[in-house]
Amino acid sequence: MQVVKLSLKEANKIPIEADEVNPDNFAGKTEEEIKAIKVWYGNDQYHLGDFFNVKVEGSDSVENTKIVFEGDVSRVKRIGQNMSAGEIEINGNVDMHCGFGMKGGKIVINGDADNWLGCEMTGGEIILNGNASYYVGSGYRGESCGMRGGKITINGNAKDYLGEHMCGGEILVKGSVGLLPAISNNGGKIIIEGNATMPASEMKSGMVIIKGETFDLLPSFKEEGTEEFGGVTYRKFTGDVNVGGKGILLIK
Amino acid sequence: MSEILIKNANVCDPAQGINCETMDICIKDGKIVESVSANAKVIDAKGRLTMAGGFDGHTHSAGKINVGRFINPNDARKNLVPGLSGQVARTEKTRAQVGYNTPNTYAIGYRYAKLGYTTICEAAIPLLAARHTHEEFKEIPILDKMGLSLFGSNWQVMEYIRDKEPEKLAAYIAWGLRASRGYGIKIVNPGGGEAWGWGKNVSGLYDPVPNFDVTPAEILLGLAEVNERLNLPHSVHVHCNNLGKPGNYETTIETMKLFEKVKPSRNRQALHVTHVQFNAYAGTSWRDFETGAPMVADYVNGADHLTFDLGQIIFGPAVTMTADGPVEYANARMLHEKWSNQDIELEDASGVVPLFYSPKNFVNSVQWAIGLELALLVKDPWKVMFTTDSPNGGSFVNYPEAFTYLMSAKRREEVISGFSKTALDRMVLPGIDRELDFYELAVMTRSTQSRMYSRPEKGNLKPGSDADIAIYDILPEQIDPSTEYEKVKKAFSGAAYTLKDGEIVVKDGEIEATPKGKIYWVNAKVPSTIDSAMQKDIDVKFRKYYTVSKANYMVEDMYLQRPVEITTEGVF
Repeated sequence: MQVVKLSLKEANKIPIEADEVNPDNFAGKTEEEIKAIKVWYGNDQYHLGDFFNVKVEGSDSVENTKIVFEGDVSRVKRIGQNMSAGEIEINGNVDMHCGFGMKGGKIVINGDADNWLGCEMTGGEIILNGNASYYVGSGYRGESCGMRGGKITINGNAKDYLGEHMCGGEILVKGSVGLLPAISNNGGKIIIEGNATMPASEMKSGMVIIKGETFDLLPSFKEEGTEEFGGVTYRKFTGDVNVGGKGILLIK
Repeated sequence: MSEILIKNANVCDPAQGINCETMDICIKDGKIVESVSANAKVIDAKGRLTMAGGFDGHTHSAGKINVGRFINPNDARKNLVPGLSGQVARTEKTRAQVGYNTPNTYAIGYRYAKLGYTTICEAAIPLLAARHTHEEFKEIPILDKMGLSLFGSNWQVMEYIRDKEPEKLAAYIAWGLRASRGYGIKIVNPGGGEAWGWGKNVSGLYDPVPNFDVTPAEILLGLAEVNERLNLPHSVHVHCNNLGKPGNYETTIETMKLFEKVKPSRNRQALHVTHVQFNAYAGTSWRDFETGAPMVADYVNGADHLTFDLGQIIFGPAVTMTADGPVEYANARMLHEKWSNQDIELEDASGVVPLFYSPKNFVNSVQWAIGLELALLVKDPWKVMFTTDSPNGGSFVNYPEAFTYLMSAKRREEVISGFSKTALDRMVLPGIDRELDFYELAVMTRSTQSRMYSRPEKGNLKPGSDADIAIYDILPEQIDPSTEYEKVKKAFSGAAYTLKDGEIVVKDGEIEATPKGKIYWVNAKVPSTIDSAMQKDIDVKFRKYYTVSKANYMVEDMYLQRPVEITTEGVF
């Protein structure tokens, strides 16, 4: 097991683009090597060691590498981008694009996450023990596929456009979500235990289950009896008929 | 006074009938000359293939492409042709580059230059949006540029044709070219753009345009007559009716036949039909869709009044952009894709839809084959211009890939082996073994363009021509393009040298210098009495309908970088 502990020397105002901070780049490296990893800060490149105290315990393969952020990193973006294995634990809030394009492994965030959490991820797991912002598990601007695999669990609430253009994988929100969750979905499964507004517009396929209250259900969904999910009976809708969609929307 | 001597160049220059012969090329002050002094800078071509700078006669590189950029922000990160796409940080010589199908303006200039291209013709300038097109031209480095102005669904044009006022029509076209600083007449789905304003389309050459009582055939012939009356350097440039519809090859041939009676006023074709691949479909629906290329090629082989370009498709993502509004609506609906639609007031329609050509899709496979069939079945390469209608059929950065399809039957077989049986039954390409040589390729990528656009100083290496030259890392005597197509592709993907006006702009596939290119535009002279009578009519249009005033409509001199004004005398 290799554990790498990172703590910010001082809180930064200008965001740090930490797209190289993932177990794939840390595994088997010494403290000095990790400190020398380059990150963007504003329009210049610096070394990770310029901003973070780095402590390394042990040395191991990617699967057995764990990165721990001690404290708030709410101005550090793209943590865990493209990671394929291993684990990241963030003990505080995190900035945008955490887990972007993640292929495997696990990210646990003990705080809130900013926009684009788990955007375009294809595998692995993200557990957020706080609230998420906009565009969880969505696609890059203009892409027709966002999240394709893996699982995101949000133990708090999420804002608008959850799972936009999602094509696979699963998102579970224990709290409520904002406007237009599952917009333009093309696969995958979204379970919202709280409330949602205008869900699943332009959905082509996939499944959305809303256990709380649904506000402003779109008129472009067809009601087709009931369906049981997890021992509870829901009203079943299919759509969005505007796009010839065959997605399934289960609501109370 | 700068002089360059290119030694040991293996020159392929169809305009002079030179087929891969080793010789020297002399350059003085940006022009090719007979000889230079002993002080000339020497470039040793070491027997490598040398051609005139490439000339893309039909590309969407300024104007509408910007809408493509808006609706495809994800294109910025696409890097399907490394070295010629994706995100490239700025260097001391180049600005930052992004994109693949819809790259930023700088990338368009750099990448064309890397392919050895030095001149491009923007295929569609709406008069109303011409200022924007020229603003983009300004920011496309290195290349010489020209653009074709859209007239095919223009109210004033249709009214003059209906009212049988050819002189006023000529005055209007001359004014329109001046207003947009255009080079020639582009006609897109004649009448269809206006019909689209009413949610309709025209179904063929003799289907009248709503509210104007003219037919597409009348529009085509009316504009052709004016084109020749004004002595314009290019013929009318036609995107036929019924584009993208199974069975449309008949409309295409009908359109070509219509022009048999048009007498060109210059030594060039009477008609250029563009991206014929999209207009050479047989069958009655997408189910029995098949190639119509043999029929079109047959007709073209027997005709000598026209040229055409391919509109070859490239597998992968593309962005369609055209003034053919109804086609884009159909695309967006059929493919469930993003759709941008614009109404160009009194002038035309416009649409943009991104799409993906897949070799697994039988329609796409057949489309791919049709482009190549047209190129290979038409015997005379001087009738053919190579294009992908970039980025409609695919980005221009794929030209080297497409050249290998034309030059190697083996390479074609490789691609075809992935097609479904249904696709193979609908094409004739597998039975074609013709392979182009470098000479024929040079005709399709340079020489035809020079003749087609009446630009004798372009697309050839005659003394007096512009010193726009591409040297590729190929030894023509030692390579067999039929089997060594990977080498061919690599060489065409990054020229060993590209010279623009005698300046080295690319060396070993990297940008060396980024001079500003010229803008060609046509100023056709019309008697002032006819012009002022016509102005009264368009003043009414501006007063009653346009959202801009005439004074804010014209492209003024300040928009043009290094303008080259081509004046012609009309016959009245």
